Amino acid sequence: MTAVLPTGTTPPAGGSPAGARRSVHWPRVALHAGALAVLVVMLYPLAWLLATSLKPAKEVIASLDLLPSHLEWSNYTTALDGVNGVSVWQLLANSLLIAGGAVLGNVLSCSLAAYAFARLRFRFRGPLFAFMIATIMLPHHAVLIPQYIIFNQLGMVNTYWPLILPKFLATEAFFVFLIVQFMRGLPRELEEAARIDGCGPFRSFFQIILPLTRPALITTAIFTFIWTWNDFFTQLIYLFSPEKFTLTLALRSFVDASSQSAFGPMFAMSVIALLPIVLFFLAFQRFLVEGMASSGVKG
Amino acid sequence: MTTTDIPVTPAREGRGTPPKKRGGRRREGAAWVFLSPWVLGASVLTLLPMAVSLYLSFTDYDMFDPPHWVGLRNYTQMFTEDPRYWRSVGSTLTYVVIAVPLQLAVALAVAVALKSMRRGKAFYRSAFYAPSLLGASMSIALVWRAIFNDGGTVDNLLGTGGWVNRPGWAMLAVALLTVWQFGAPMVIFLAGLQQIPGELYEAAAVDGASRRRQFLSITLPMLSPVVFFNLVLQTIQAFQVFTPAFAVSGGKGGPADSTLFYTLYLYDRGFVASHMGYASAMAWVLLLAIGAVTAVMFRTSRSWVFYADEEGR
Amino acid sequence: MPGHRTKRSCALLLALALSALLTACGGSDDTSGGGGKVTLRYTWWGNPDRAARTDQAVALFEKRHPGIDVQTSFAGYDAYKQKLATQAAGGDAPDVMQLDYRMIDQYASGGVLLDLGERSAELSTAEIDKGLLATGRLGGTQYAIPMARGTEAVVYDAVRWKATGVPLPRAGWTWDEWADRVREVARVSGEPGSIDPGQSEDCFEVWLRGQGKSLYTPDGGLGFTADDLTRWWTFADGLRREGAVSPAEQTTQIDGSVENTPLGRGKAVSDFNWDAPSSGFQDLVGKGLTLAPMPVWQDGTPGQYFKPSMFIGAGANTSHPAEAARLIDFMVNDKEAAKILGATRGIPVNESIRRDVVPGLEGFDTTVAAYQSSVEGTLDAPPQAPPAGDSALQNTFTRDYDQVSFGRMSPREAAENYVTEAKAELR
Repeated sequence: MTAVLPTGTTPPAGGSPAGARRSVHWPRVALHAGALAVLVVMLYPLAWLLATSLKPAKEVIASLDLLPSHLEWSNYTTALDGVNGVSVWQLLANSLLIAGGAVLGNVLSCSLAAYAFARLRFRFRGPLFAFMIATIMLPHHAVLIPQYIIFNQLGMVNTYWPLILPKFLATEAFFVFLIVQFMRGLPRELEEAARIDGCGPFRSFFQIILPLTRPALITTAIFTFIWTWNDFFTQLIYLFSPEKFTLTLALRSFVDASSQSAFGPMFAMSVIALLPIVLFFLAFQRFLVEGMASSGVKG
Repeated sequence: MTTTDIPVTPAREGRGTPPKKRGGRRREGAAWVFLSPWVLGASVLTLLPMAVSLYLSFTDYDMFDPPHWVGLRNYTQMFTEDPRYWRSVGSTLTYVVIAVPLQLAVALAVAVALKSMRRGKAFYRSAFYAPSLLGASMSIALVWRAIFNDGGTVDNLLGTGGWVNRPGWAMLAVALLTVWQFGAPMVIFLAGLQQIPGELYEAAAVDGASRRRQFLSITLPMLSPVVFFNLVLQTIQAFQVFTPAFAVSGGKGGPADSTLFYTLYLYDRGFVASHMGYASAMAWVLLLAIGAVTAVMFRTSRSWVFYADEEGR
Repeated sequence: MPGHRTKRSCALLLALALSALLTACGGSDDTSGGGGKVTLRYTWWGNPDRAARTDQAVALFEKRHPGIDVQTSFAGYDAYKQKLATQAAGGDAPDVMQLDYRMIDQYASGGVLLDLGERSAELSTAEIDKGLLATGRLGGTQYAIPMARGTEAVVYDAVRWKATGVPLPRAGWTWDEWADRVREVARVSGEPGSIDPGQSEDCFEVWLRGQGKSLYTPDGGLGFTADDLTRWWTFADGLRREGAVSPAEQTTQIDGSVENTPLGRGKAVSDFNWDAPSSGFQDLVGKGLTLAPMPVWQDGTPGQYFKPSMFIGAGANTSHPAEAARLIDFMVNDKEAAKILGATRGIPVNESIRRDVVPGLEGFDTTVAAYQSSVEGTLDAPPQAPPAGDSALQNTFTRDYDQVSFGRMSPREAAENYVTEAKAELR
């Protein structure tokens, strides 16, 4: 195999037989019909969520009908007023800042660590790799308090550092492991060829490996964004001032079992909080398709 | 510690390409540069808290008073005096066995089907991922309970009665929530499929290989590192299942403890009952159990996972 | 193995050693803002309405004390509990915090709370009912001040109840009368007359207190026997089997919110709940929503009591104890603050403030106030705050009864189970 891969031309994925191009391809139609049918069932709960965000309070929980009796837009106006004097825009900006920082941190630090684990030789690599995998196995509730003490001692409680800094230090072994697996799918000849041309590990990493692991990096970016966005727990523990709150925190504050809950606005806020991650996913998912096949490599 | 027993496949690097001495040393230095953020994070933010929790697992720490050393008491109590602990082990194992294969099978099937589609790929990919955008949030918990309650959509359509409020059925409702959110493994499968060089398929098509044959002899082997990744990670995550349980029981683990998953009970012991020492012990037992399962997976992986960076297979 | 005591200083082992090192290069402590202003952190649980009113009151406090800056923060109850526990364990408890009855013992004995008795210069407790005030005391030290009070009630839909022709709930009805009427309502209406009280530790406590017993002894042990609990669960189990109260499938969904109760879903005609939180039923039940006193024991002894629905306390580590006490005093005793706060935290315990506030109440708050005054003077003093193990036992209670109602254990077996666990928990 050579280091040069076909550029630009996307081969027929799955390799469909050539003869069936023109006429109606029935298996293909069946595939679409099946996929659409599955989707209707799958998206039903989301339709429910959307419909509920427009239900009057009485129907939010008690009614088992999908459609509201009338559209209750006040759920949205209440949600858009924000919480505790903090506007919904401020909450949105805070969420974006945290999720954006986390994406940057994870993509950068996890790919660096992954490259070392996948391609470089160093002492204790086996035990360190095992340790890294083991860190995913301990339930995070068990380390919550020690971690809190550390961040408290660093004077970082009630700042965004406890939410962002760990991502720059590759603490999410999930992504390191993910990128390792992708890098190991790349033939070693790629760098061998580069090495002969006098290319060191840093140039190999940035110019050869990184572009080729783009699907994994995009995956990391997408998951980090969504998971950080939805990570209620960490945000709850580390953020104190309402003006630093996020959308995810704010929507939960509509629900308090000990007093009167506002489920209508909570659902409305859920829909509002969903929009940015939908947009993020839509914007980035198209990069998933451009993998090795189209991003040609020239040694 | 059994965790270090995990056979590490990448350790077999450099086979067939013995590095020259000078280059090797330089690479060793380079490796530590690449690793430096991870080393800092792993030691301060991971290893240290883990060490503390290991220590606490031998104490009676209650979050408010200083911990006292109690030796193995937490561990013996867990294994011999706590029937609810064993119930939580039982429900967790049931869940792992149901949810993981189902979710992975669905994710792989959809990913492969999507790959072979020529139109509407982006639309389907987004639509199938949509449920996973929500995570197991409070709103999705309420929706799930409404749909799977008695008189809810599922009961009306299938006449099964409520799911979330009956032992046995509740587990299915939780597992379905997990399967429903198959977006993450699906995207990882898709990314893996994209990495397979198209020329392999071209060559196979020239040789007249059927699609089934192409799937078995190109797609699966080339995808195996990613399949392995998903299998390991989804299993680990399934052992730690926490948030989906809120969808059914509001985090109480009902009905009749049937969805009292391991980490849910751990949380209950640690943060509700303030027995943080006991909860830490539970966490370490879980780590060892998952470690053992993962070690087995790594060991068997040698026979079915194909890495392009290894030669001479 | 007998525990060998480690020194307090090795409390969290390496973490502290390392964190000391980290502090050297870490950021500065940010508890005091610039310009010599004192900053107080004040946290509570609640909903956005309570937040808006609290912020307004706090703004007034800051206007009166230009040298004090108050940072407020809130969350829903469950989230709040977890956050506060983590902060407390991390040695980072807020300066002023809202506390629940069930938290007092643990937080006080864990050294998290400031002795407010020493702050009498800033904080007055003269106008608070002595019995209620005592619930914030532990070993003679006043760790927290009750802010509001509540009592349990039978909450029912009067429209549906009247339609059955069964006599309405009345003050002084006994548990047997309650059972008869609920059974009758169920027979006529075809819906369970009540939720199943078997799952509720609160109902059990009312039943127990009517017999002169209690959940916990004064020294924090278990105040009842497995026989008592067996009788209670047999009573509830029997009613459930008859269809008089909700089936297991409904009971198991109760999670503390009104929305998931059988009454809230329209699957039962009555419920048991605390008075103020019952306001959530308004949207679900409609105008028939009514409160009635809890059943009493055969000899007429009431088991229900005025419970402090929340407390306010100060952190033991606060650098500004005087200012913290002043804020507490303001929240509990200030007339203008009371005007802003209304009954957002329940009916106030400060007696003169209660007299001022009650006439101005609106909506469901008037119902609660009227209900409270209807039982005023007939109830016994509240028990002292429950021991630390209670928050776990409350869940155990519900779980063990789940086993009974799903027919997996007999009331006797479940009760024995509970008592064994409780003894271990309270050890």
